[in-house]
Amino acid sequence: MARNPVFMPIRELSELIRTGQVSPMELTEIFLDRLENLGPRYNVVVTVTRERALRQASRAEGEIASGFYRGPLHGIPYGAKDLLATSGGIPTTWGAAPFRNQTFDYDATVIKKLEDAGAILAAKLAMIELAGGMGYRQPNASFTGPPRNPWNQRTWTGGSSSGSGAAVSAGLVPFAIGSETWGSILSPANNCGVAGLRPTYGRVSRYGAMALSWTLDKLGPLCLTADDCGLVLEAIAGADPNDPSTTDRPFKYDDRPRRRFRLAVLKDVTEGVDGEVCDNFERALKVLEQVATIEEIELPDLPYEAITRTILNAESASAFEDFIEGGRASELTAPEDRYGPYARTVVLAKDYLRALRLRGVMLKAVDEAMSPYDAVVAPTRRSVASPIDQEFRRAAPGTAGDIMGAVGNGAGLPSISVPSGFTDSGLPMGIQFMGRAYCENTIMAAARVYQSLTDWHQRHPLDLAPAK
Amino acid sequence: MSNCEAKSNEYEVLFEILQDRYGDRLSPEELEEVRKGVERIAETAKALRSVRLENSDELFSVFKPYRREE
Repeated sequence: MARNPVFMPIRELSELIRTGQVSPMELTEIFLDRLENLGPRYNVVVTVTRERALRQASRAEGEIASGFYRGPLHGIPYGAKDLLATSGGIPTTWGAAPFRNQTFDYDATVIKKLEDAGAILAAKLAMIELAGGMGYRQPNASFTGPPRNPWNQRTWTGGSSSGSGAAVSAGLVPFAIGSETWGSILSPANNCGVAGLRPTYGRVSRYGAMALSWTLDKLGPLCLTADDCGLVLEAIAGADPNDPSTTDRPFKYDDRPRRRFRLAVLKDVTEGVDGEVCDNFERALKVLEQVATIEEIELPDLPYEAITRTILNAESASAFEDFIEGGRASELTAPEDRYGPYARTVVLAKDYLRALRLRGVMLKAVDEAMSPYDAVVAPTRRSVASPIDQEFRRAAPGTAGDIMGAVGNGAGLPSISVPSGFTDSGLPMGIQFMGRAYCENTIMAAARVYQSLTDWHQRHPLDLAPAK
Repeated sequence: MSNCEAKSNEYEVLFEILQDRYGDRLSPEELEEVRKGVERIAETAKALRSVRLENSDELFSVFKPYRREE
């Protein structure tokens, strides 16, 4: 093999495969070895699916050799957050001790679609127990242990798609699938220094994924680049009769470059944000000024966080009603997850319905405010990765809310986070581009341009980078 | 009774329900955390209720009757 494939974007890897410079078997063995040898160091792998991976790789190899090339994911290994159902006796643990032996006899739609695209499932990746839906406040909230950040093992990966972010960051897989209800793709993308795409709600089928909140859950990719996110999204998007929330709107990744953008920044979006994050965001805006006009906007005055929070509280309490009533929360890892769900069981029906009615008002108001713009940009997170042994609110005190997360998730809007620099202590920071519904191509184009002007995404943890 | 007191009492009652239902499986410290959780839910509800909605503001979710494909 002429070049080491670790930390190589899908775009380049697929070209090596297509042209026969590397074989799917060879590639799969490399990443399986990394998953098995390096995965335990970071607590980011639940199950290495070696047998299934080698079977899929062998099939891919045969198909490609016979001239049947399925596309850019053919022969590319990946990891899936361990809330996606997988058949064949592979456990799907939801990151939680009470479900550590759970298995399904079918594959989630996303897993099936990736198989159809020729991708190779190499691992089920660690996650915060029950996708963080019980109210966790610390990294040690998974039966597999606190997921450690490849950039600094004493810090957290972010969550709840912790393993998905860290496995890409550590070069254990070329890409991974994560899920987001509120922050669970963007947070690990930020902390681990990778690209993470939260698609529009309904763009990707949730069938076979653990339900935390039926009207907030989304599935999306974590990759090395924004361009790779587009390649993966095209493979996993689409209507699914098994998920009535999926949209009939087709998605075809458009990788053509765009020259100019019109971007917006929410007024006061950096209020209460960590100083280094704030400075980094200002620098990122300066870079973007080369290709965009940037205007400050203000959203109509609505209780965005209360709307999204109430929907999340009510739906998660219902999704896990039997689990909570049965007292099984006491088996969870984080102490706060053992009592956290109880308060949610008393959200009044009238408040949940009010939140859903206000969501309608919010959707129209936000879309109108965003309509002149290609994207709203913001720091992905208000603080950098917190210490592995601390509650994250204690590590990053302050009263700043998460208006981008509340609006974006409550309104089901797409957002992509890409790395935008590092702190003095070497921790990654990210910038997010949030778009109007179904405008993934626009925000990915903006993120690609940003990545063409910077090299943050080409940096990798030094101890993990392969010898040249 | 003022509106404020009524709201506060509403959530005191809800906490009492939780205490009654789950008190035997939670320590005093955990129950105190549950009380704080109920208070946060009360604050959230207060924010929701502060916005005036029109009769025509309906849920933004579409219910569709279902019939199995034959």
